[in-house]
Amino acid sequence: MNIERITAGYLPELPGLREDEVQWHVLPFERGGVRLEVSVPLLTGPQMHALAAHVRRAADRHLRAMPVAEIIDAIDRAIARLLDRSDPYRRQAEAWLPVVSGYDADMVSLGLTGFFKTFRAAQLRRFVAEDFANPAVLDGFQPAPKGGAVRAFGPDLLMHSWAGNVPALSLWSLVCGLLVKAPAIGKLASAEPLFAGWFARLLAEVHPPLADCLAVVWWSGAGGVDGADGADGVDGGGAAALHAEADTVLAYGGNQTLQALRQRLPVTTRFLPHGHKLGFGMVGAQALDTLKAPAVARLAAWDVMRYDQQGCYSPHVFYVERGAPVPPRAFADYLAAELANLQRRFARRPLELEEGAAVARWQQAVEWSGDEQQLLGPVDAPWSVAYSDSLQPLAPTALYRTIAVVGVDRLDDAVPVVAAQRDYLQTAGIAASPEQLYRLAGLLGAAGVTRISAIGSMSMPEAGWHHDGRFNLLDLVRMTEIEQSAEAAAQPFAPYAD
Amino acid sequence: MDKARPQAASLVADLLAFIAMDGCTDEQFDALALRLFAYQYESNAPFRSFCQRRGATLRNVKTWSDIPAVPIDAFKAMELRSEPASPAERVFMTSGTTGQAKGLSARGRHFHPALDVYDASMTRNFAQRFMAGHERLPMGILFPDEQAMPNSSLAHYLALAKTEFGTPDSRYFLTPDGLDMPGLCAVLEESERSGRPYALLGASFSLVHVMDALREQGRSFRLPPGSRILDTGGYKGQSRELPLEDFYADLSRLLGVPRSHCINMYGMTELSTQFYDDGNATLPSVKSGPHWIRSRLVEPVTGRSVAPGERGILVHCDLANYNAVTTILTEDVGLWAGHGENSGFLLLGRAEGAAAKGCSLAVDEFVKAAAA
Repeated sequence: MNIERITAGYLPELPGLREDEVQWHVLPFERGGVRLEVSVPLLTGPQMHALAAHVRRAADRHLRAMPVAEIIDAIDRAIARLLDRSDPYRRQAEAWLPVVSGYDADMVSLGLTGFFKTFRAAQLRRFVAEDFANPAVLDGFQPAPKGGAVRAFGPDLLMHSWAGNVPALSLWSLVCGLLVKAPAIGKLASAEPLFAGWFARLLAEVHPPLADCLAVVWWSGAGGVDGADGADGVDGGGAAALHAEADTVLAYGGNQTLQALRQRLPVTTRFLPHGHKLGFGMVGAQALDTLKAPAVARLAAWDVMRYDQQGCYSPHVFYVERGAPVPPRAFADYLAAELANLQRRFARRPLELEEGAAVARWQQAVEWSGDEQQLLGPVDAPWSVAYSDSLQPLAPTALYRTIAVVGVDRLDDAVPVVAAQRDYLQTAGIAASPEQLYRLAGLLGAAGVTRISAIGSMSMPEAGWHHDGRFNLLDLVRMTEIEQSAEAAAQPFAPYAD
Repeated sequence: MDKARPQAASLVADLLAFIAMDGCTDEQFDALALRLFAYQYESNAPFRSFCQRRGATLRNVKTWSDIPAVPIDAFKAMELRSEPASPAERVFMTSGTTGQAKGLSARGRHFHPALDVYDASMTRNFAQRFMAGHERLPMGILFPDEQAMPNSSLAHYLALAKTEFGTPDSRYFLTPDGLDMPGLCAVLEESERSGRPYALLGASFSLVHVMDALREQGRSFRLPPGSRILDTGGYKGQSRELPLEDFYADLSRLLGVPRSHCINMYGMTELSTQFYDDGNATLPSVKSGPHWIRSRLVEPVTGRSVAPGERGILVHCDLANYNAVTTILTEDVGLWAGHGENSGFLLLGRAEGAAAKGCSLAVDEFVKAAAA
């Protein structure tokens, strides 16, 4: 077997943290006759403390002194290279992300381009403008409408804890941290340990002063070797050190992982969790004539196909309204046909035994549920559609292109079952008339939905979206105000005072 | 259904004779498996429609491995039976603690019109695999009795072990008041003193409780040579989770029974036949069953057998399952221990915890959150 080795993560040049002074852990991946061994840096407690001090110092000197416009310019130059198909960074992403994730190479390539496009300079400026009416507050004190002045300061040290099998997902939080000028240390996900380190390295290339402001490391799980969460941890002591050093933590993962992490943080640390979500779509009668319905079904299939439903925004259920020329059951058939088509272009990734067992169990539950639900298509197809004529609770499917379609008399009928999963709501895809869209948006927003997109765009959030309904940048900063009283009181001490 | 009864009677008679044989050829196994398939296909409507969805008919099922494997969840969703319900039937139910999907009742049900076949299967196999030449042994049972748990197949199994293979002084040590540690210690002491080998049988988690109690009291025993322990079922959240290595090391140290005499039984409510290993000196131990049960390892979505050397989900074809369905798809992961299916299998745990790698909610996490 062909064995390839990659050194992942990213450490600035620093005595005590050189390649031969750091312990490396190997994460193996095997796909299609290639074995990839990814080495990730595993720091000790003292090494992590030294690293934290180093990135803080460097950020003070370089990052915090950069106007936001210059930071945007640096990110834009890095993204331009990632969009360039001939650039070595882009080429290694296209070569290795499919191997670690198992996703179809064309799907990854297409996904990366669509994703990177949302991080060009124009989009980044919009991103900042979404959260700051006057983005200059990130560079210096700006007059406040109530009087006095105000300035936004980013975290003293930002920790990222990434999850995920959606390749390059770490870019979101890395960019957020940079825009608020935060020195940052990120913890790689074991399932995708590559992209964050590459991005840090690329950034250091396009703007060398940033080389010392970022670091990307790894340990297993929530850190600690005691196996407190039931798993044998791999951790050199770095986790506890970073948990103590960071004043802000941006974390992605399931609720159990987030809970484990939160328990390890001091109460004074700002903890910004993004848990797993349960997306769904709604198709109104207006979208279900014989011309429009197949097109909506095709778009819906794309949302199911992209990254095999691993995104927080991925749909699990489509609620389809009755009473139109194309009934819900026929819509489900269209969707099944489109999934079969997409399988030929972008094959589902091969499933591990446990994943396959979960898919089979979900299918069997549908099969055995009696007349209430039907499984469309062959049982052994690499996708499946469960159709139900009666309202079902909003529940996760087995992912990997397993989708439920539920026929309802009115889309409003689905609102209560959606509202019951408030903690897990985020994205809803809607295909309906403008009036319907706004009416449903009101109901769904009240139920807990934070993002409404077109069907077909569910798995492609737009630049500057508010992830989980939060302010990506505002949540990271703290505002420092100079009150009017201080301004006024300073006047008598001026050299020109009368 | 009218013709089912005489048909069932002749099947049961042939089955009992089959179990009594010393072994069987592939042809003999296939012949009986196909007879049972035809019988179940004709008299069991939910099974028939399941087969039809899988494209399996009386014509194209030609060998036991062609019989569609029914997922164990089906035992929760519907009544899988070939004979109509009767007042005399026994119903064994699963404990129903794990992931309850929509549309399913919490507990799987296995209907036994009579227990002759179940009992014949159990006793013949148990005599060979656990008793190892002993006609009877004094037995201590660490599980509730059949009166306390009439729907537990394990309670029946252990009751059968006690009546068929236990000496008259055999008894239960799990009462409604809990574990009778003083009583248990007394009989273990007596066995040490007399040198008469002793057999301790029960749920794995009960044995954990016994070990915890012994450790607390600072006690240990050296049971006489020939003593044996049988554990089954894992911990099911009823005791602390103990790695298997620690479990058998502690069992052997605290009771003085060598690990080669600590037997693990792998059974399921949905089956009528059990698997055993030949002791747990090395882990994971190799499990195997008698000649009237055969297993496959499959890829779960397609149901195809996995390539040699690869893990798969266990499918069992149990001829003693004459009333429900012979062939079931488990949720257990297995690996062939040697070359081919006669080598026995390693049991590698349940196929769960397919950790969500992305940010989309996975069923396991959802079920856990809903249960919390």
